[in-house]
Amino acid sequence: MANELLFFMEVLVGGLLAGTMYSLVALGFVLIFKASATFNFSQGAMVFFSVLAFCGFMQDFNIPFVLAFILAALLMVVVGLCTERLVLRPLMNASEDTVLMATIGLGYVLEGLAQAAWGVEVRRLDLGIGDFPVPWIADNLKLFISALDITAGLVAAIMIIGLFLLFKYTKIGLGLRAVADDAGAASSIGIPLKHIMLLVWSAAGVVALVAGCMWGARAGVQFALVDLALKALPVLIIGGFSSIPGAIIGGLIIGAVEKILEVYIGPFFGGAIEGWAPYVLAIFFLLYRPEGLFGEKIIRRV
Amino acid sequence: MSNNSVNILDIKNIEVMYDNVILALHDVSLKVPKGKVVALLGANGAGKSTTLKAVSTMLASERGKVTKGSIDYDGNSIEKQNPSQMVGLGMVQVLEGRRCFGHLTVEENIISGAYSRKLSKGDIDQELEKIYTYFLRLKERRKSQAAFTSGGEQQMIAVARAMMAKPKMLLLDEPTMGLAPQLVAEIFNIVKELNQKEGVSILLAEQNTNIALKNSDYGYIIETGKVMLEGTAQSLLNNDKVKELYLGISKKGRKNFRDVLKEESLNKKIN
Repeated sequence: MANELLFFMEVLVGGLLAGTMYSLVALGFVLIFKASATFNFSQGAMVFFSVLAFCGFMQDFNIPFVLAFILAALLMVVVGLCTERLVLRPLMNASEDTVLMATIGLGYVLEGLAQAAWGVEVRRLDLGIGDFPVPWIADNLKLFISALDITAGLVAAIMIIGLFLLFKYTKIGLGLRAVADDAGAASSIGIPLKHIMLLVWSAAGVVALVAGCMWGARAGVQFALVDLALKALPVLIIGGFSSIPGAIIGGLIIGAVEKILEVYIGPFFGGAIEGWAPYVLAIFFLLYRPEGLFGEKIIRRV
Repeated sequence: MSNNSVNILDIKNIEVMYDNVILALHDVSLKVPKGKVVALLGANGAGKSTTLKAVSTMLASERGKVTKGSIDYDGNSIEKQNPSQMVGLGMVQVLEGRRCFGHLTVEENIISGAYSRKLSKGDIDQELEKIYTYFLRLKERRKSQAAFTSGGEQQMIAVARAMMAKPKMLLLDEPTMGLAPQLVAEIFNIVKELNQKEGVSILLAEQNTNIALKNSDYGYIIETGKVMLEGTAQSLLNNDKVKELYLGISKKGRKNFRDVLKEESLNKKIN
């Protein structure tokens, strides 16, 4: 009995920690959804682009780890700058659907650029954190939990606290929330939309880089990262597109549920249900709670 | 840059087009003297909002363009400005329909108005207290989410938010739309007070002709994108045409809707 419980705990904790990796990707989507009110289809490509550049700086130019990370982050700021200037500003008065389509195009451009610059082969990314159980936890709690998962959890926690503080207590955060609510009114009182857009896209780029590092360390830095990032879609549907806590909790739910289902129900379906189980969960949310757990309810005064 | 001329705003013969085809304003000229309240009156679609947006340069975000004429604010042309630069120069528009940030608290809404100014936390608190002296009602509700406040309170939030930008001139677009008479009076009292105590010049677009003129110094009446009539507020209030068309009063006495219908049916019979 105790062994079964221990096994369940291990599955649950492993799932929750793996879920934080989804949360990290979802965070990038939420940032952009808050400011541009659009689902950024290029987020997956941004993850791929940023982490491939990071690897490229380290492996092709022998730039040290920290410096390479800073360079990659700066590169993402430049990508944000170009996106604002070349894509968003010309589409300023266009509908949200048009911007959505533009993000799909942007995704292809980034994928192409990344591969043109750094090649197409899968690269290994060594963060110096192994993807194996932490001995101390294995010995004392009898749980086998990967060090990489724990790191991802910690990084996600730091990022969410940082972003929360940024939104809630800084001037630029207030401006961002104002733009998210009503861009026209925000501009009428002098909040410069282009600065806010630039900030948000750059922040989303850096978040993409962090998420890319975590995923790259686990699965290798490769083209598949682009599709992996779309796992964030059910996370967002469950957590709510406009909520940062929602992205985190949605990620945890998806991570835990997919692992538990895989282990306990998977055998009845011949396994490998973790690929589609999250989407089934997402469909239930769409039917019964379309704004997600933490999404901003559409407020209408009567 | 400031100038010594008496008019803070000087619009000369402007024409405005939307999407390069829809002519919204034919020929509008108007002046707002420094420290005065000027009313821009007219029915739905007459071009009041378009005029205000031409001044605040917010037309561009709606595919509109000033195609003829000139707009001078504080002695300088506004042609090359964008909305956030205009706010920096002290010209703030309060948009039609209040447009509060629904998910932000009342206080956050007001503070957001100071975005264009470089203020310390202490300065902001000080300004906030000053603003609350005009909007006592908002102080009580400072922590509520703006979307859950009443229409009158939302209008006050919108004006308070604009005042936080320390404007020299306010453009108010139908501030009393959909409000109960008592609230309409309250809003106008606040507007009047801001004008007198803070010295803010005001251009006010309204459909509520009577109360707008009673609270203004000068008035313009526009119809289908053209200025039809202008004059001091008092002269417009006494003008027979204005009385008949906009105030619902004819020489024979107060006209009500039933009388109008009767007249119409009579005319039909004659025809």
